[in-house]
Amino acid sequence: MMTLNKTRFAAGLAAITLMLLVTACAGPESGKADASGKVDYTKMSAKELGEYLIFESNSFRLDMPTQEGTTARERMMQDDLQMLCSQTRNQPSPEQAGRIIAEARASMKYPEGGIQLGDWQRGGNLAWGGFGFRLADQSDDHSRRAADGACYNCHALSPQRTGGSLGPSLTGYGKSRGDSEATRRFIYEMIYNPHAYFPCTNMPRMGYKGVLNEQAIADIMAYLLHPDSPVNK
Amino acid sequence: MMKKVLLALPVALAIGVAAHAQPAKDPVLVLEALIGKVDSAYLTQSEQNLMMMADNPALWTMEDGKALFHTPRGPNNVSLESCDFGKGPGVLAGAYTELPRFFADTGRVMDLESRLVHCMMTLQGFPADDPAVRVRDGSNSDHMKLQTYIAAQSSGMPWNPPMKHPLEKAMRDAGEYIFYRRSGTMDFNCATCHTQTGKRVRASVLPNSSIPEEWTKAVSWPAFRVGHDHVRSSQHRVRECYWQMRHAVPIGGSDATIALISYWTDLARGQPAILPDMKR
Repeated sequence: MMTLNKTRFAAGLAAITLMLLVTACAGPESGKADASGKVDYTKMSAKELGEYLIFESNSFRLDMPTQEGTTARERMMQDDLQMLCSQTRNQPSPEQAGRIIAEARASMKYPEGGIQLGDWQRGGNLAWGGFGFRLADQSDDHSRRAADGACYNCHALSPQRTGGSLGPSLTGYGKSRGDSEATRRFIYEMIYNPHAYFPCTNMPRMGYKGVLNEQAIADIMAYLLHPDSPVNK
Repeated sequence: MMKKVLLALPVALAIGVAAHAQPAKDPVLVLEALIGKVDSAYLTQSEQNLMMMADNPALWTMEDGKALFHTPRGPNNVSLESCDFGKGPGVLAGAYTELPRFFADTGRVMDLESRLVHCMMTLQGFPADDPAVRVRDGSNSDHMKLQTYIAAQSSGMPWNPPMKHPLEKAMRDAGEYIFYRRSGTMDFNCATCHTQTGKRVRASVLPNSSIPEEWTKAVSWPAFRVGHDHVRSSQHRVRECYWQMRHAVPIGGSDATIALISYWTDLARGQPAILPDMKR
């Protein structure tokens, strides 16, 4: 960017680049803001440049509408937890971890009638589906199909199919843990906001972020705990 | 089975005739050497792919790319032989393993795809909306043919993206920042899937970005994606990961995508490239 006018040759090419920018309304390949000398990437910290690239450099389609009624720009904005876990690469200090746990505890919202199990068959479908919240030209349409839990991407569930191993295996979960009040509470909270137990865990905050609603959580819990569920066979 | 035999035939012919395109080093041998060096569930996860790799459909994509590369095309009716991919006009050997790099003529750090776009537009005179420039995906696209051919001329060579120009370093460091930046409905970042060893997403073993011998295969694009039945690029990999993370859609050739590719290539530094590769 700042070496452009070093030689006449390079200056000529820069002029061509600018012409292309004007005439062809070209994409980011044409140099854009940095070619005009307005922004010097080398003067920025990695964080400043990273944030600039995400929000200011025409690198993402930030205006795309999302299923939750916002735009993709909001998807790329970080909340406090995301920021802290990114900065510490998921290794918060004991003090930070304590704060994360306290905030996750405070974020919990419970069903009015207590934590009940839903329909394990429906829960199985949600656990084994990877649909929902993806952004593309044809984004996942939640008016046609409710968002799934995508649990199988990271967890082994029923033994008939291969689940992922990024998270712990949940095969036989109900059989080994039983279906007590405490177990239900733990699973509910792990799905709602797992940072209450594991600060800066990789697991998404399915309830807190609105990926799964109350009914979906109840159904998935039934899939994990019900004795008739293939998870416990 | 019949299909396999038919598919294998042109490759056998291609390899038998010296005038045809060949990777700089047989990607099967490159991969086998890596498998002999480290114990990696990622490298060895698909026995079937290892067996099929000698007949990798990407080899025809490469062959088509060779013809396209040397044919005078576009409004200016010139070939890509005078395109400078970083090691001088027309020099392809080892060029791809030293990308992304800073190019003085554009003032930008560019990856293979953006450099190719630059040459197609400036040398050959293609307008931005010409399919040759615009269509970036699919084995039948000019882009995948050309990228596969150009990249294969660096097969077996160590990844060595230059870090001499301050912009190269800045982009690499910003790429690292973005790699670890969690956001979105699922709180994901690239590290969610790529900082552990031998873990799977569904049935697929994930590559660990901190093991260079494993990571080199992860960044060896173009590769034939068996599940897609198409040759795919680095840019496609970036876009697909962002889609699965439920983040915003990246724009092809944008600086954020090039920053990420700079970082991920730097992580594979010194390890041999497998080009073209074959992936699940």
